[in-house]
Amino acid sequence: MRSARTTFEMGLREYVRTPVLLALLLFLPAYFIGVFSYVMPDQSVPVDVGGETLQVGMQALVAALMTPMAAALVGGIAGLFLMQSARDVDTRLSIVGASLPEILLARGGVLALAAAVASLVATAVVTLTHVPEQVGWFLAATVLTGLLYGTLGALVGLVLNRLAGVYVLLFGPLLDIFLAQSPLSTETHAVAPYLPGHYPMELALDAAFTAGVDPSPLWWGLGYLLAVALVTGLAFRRALRVG
Amino acid sequence: MREARGRSTTVVARARRLEVGLSSAIREFVREPVNLALLVALPPAIVVSYGSMMSAFPELPYMSSSPETLGAVAGTLFVAAFLPGVIGLFQVISARRADERLSLTGFPRATLFCARLLAVAVASLLTASISLVVLTTRTDVAALPAAFGTLVLVGVLYGLVGMLVGAVLPRELEGSLVLIFVADVDEALASGIVQTDGAFAKLFPLHYPHELFQAAVEGSGVATGDALAAGAYVLVLGVAALGAYTTLTGEEGLR
Repeated sequence: MRSARTTFEMGLREYVRTPVLLALLLFLPAYFIGVFSYVMPDQSVPVDVGGETLQVGMQALVAALMTPMAAALVGGIAGLFLMQSARDVDTRLSIVGASLPEILLARGGVLALAAAVASLVATAVVTLTHVPEQVGWFLAATVLTGLLYGTLGALVGLVLNRLAGVYVLLFGPLLDIFLAQSPLSTETHAVAPYLPGHYPMELALDAAFTAGVDPSPLWWGLGYLLAVALVTGLAFRRALRVG
Repeated sequence: MREARGRSTTVVARARRLEVGLSSAIREFVREPVNLALLVALPPAIVVSYGSMMSAFPELPYMSSSPETLGAVAGTLFVAAFLPGVIGLFQVISARRADERLSLTGFPRATLFCARLLAVAVASLLTASISLVVLTTRTDVAALPAAFGTLVLVGVLYGLVGMLVGAVLPRELEGSLVLIFVADVDEALASGIVQTDGAFAKLFPLHYPHELFQAAVEGSGVATGDALAAGAYVLVLGVAALGAYTTLTGEEGLR
């Protein structure tokens, strides 16, 4: 456990050592949500949330969509670079005796922290213009999105190089969250229920616009996260052996 | 006579330097087979996915064509823009040390910049060709040369955005974060799914190229104002990226 803690602290120190990165982690989600809240017209649109049709302001709707997406982008990129930059170090750690669960715990901890910070910032920004009906649930959905995409980013980082990984993460969250999970669409796309953003977005939209939240998407989302984490863990173990 | 010969020798030397810089940039890209696979496989996947995902949207009054066509058109534009953008970013950040060494051996920084930009332009030509071919399988393109020209233009435009970000932020993580947020805001605003308010949305790089590309696909005639604005955007970005590259990627790159 001690090596897990040391690895976690080292990973964290690498983030803290670069103030530009910290500033970007705070600024970019705020910029992202701020821009969308600013450019959207002030008009109501019918949306399907939790099985019922509601009239929702366009600005509030896009803010609710973009908050989890900001967390997904930060989480995805953090996961990708975490795997890329720590690959050599992790191989050495495993040679000197650190176990796979310890290394995974440490890296997962750093990733979770990055996703949580981005989610907190994004949720704080969104509350300045549109307060979700259930802020706690909305934050939970945002953190879950960040964690899911963070783990997927780590998986992408194990399979692809940085250039390819950035390119995939540039399109992935937008296609999933902005298009496939959009409540503006009149029908659910065939692949939408299988995409990582499905359960978190169900929870986020429910929490943003309805007073009563059905928690089942959270459990399904956590199950999805567990499955992705398992696959990533196996890929990581293989990468360590190869390394 | 001697002066003329000297001038032609300088031109030849410059061209040779540019060739060396360009070939090293291309070699660096093709060294990883996954990059080539990406160049070929992702454009069709993205164009088809965009069209398919947007087919689930209702046809709203502000949409100029069916959501599926709108999606395929937007997807084509984004593919043509963002791959050169990512390449531009990594061209500058990953090759910082190599560029420093080349600079020490006598390569002018402006020549290095041009070599990197040429590599981005080559990638733009390739992605524009592939994505346009994919688009023609989904919808009719009324003015193919204008559509192709616009796609190459957005490739160079985002390549310059990537190079500018790479020159200002010297680490890949920070550079990628900024590029991804800039591109995704631009992508969502230019997608045509949501109606945007005010002049602010026009400040984003893809606004005018999207108008040009849409006009080329529909055959509705290219608006001179849009073409001039897109050209001016490329010019301003080019100057900014060159300035940032020559001043910010100086000797500290070797530290």
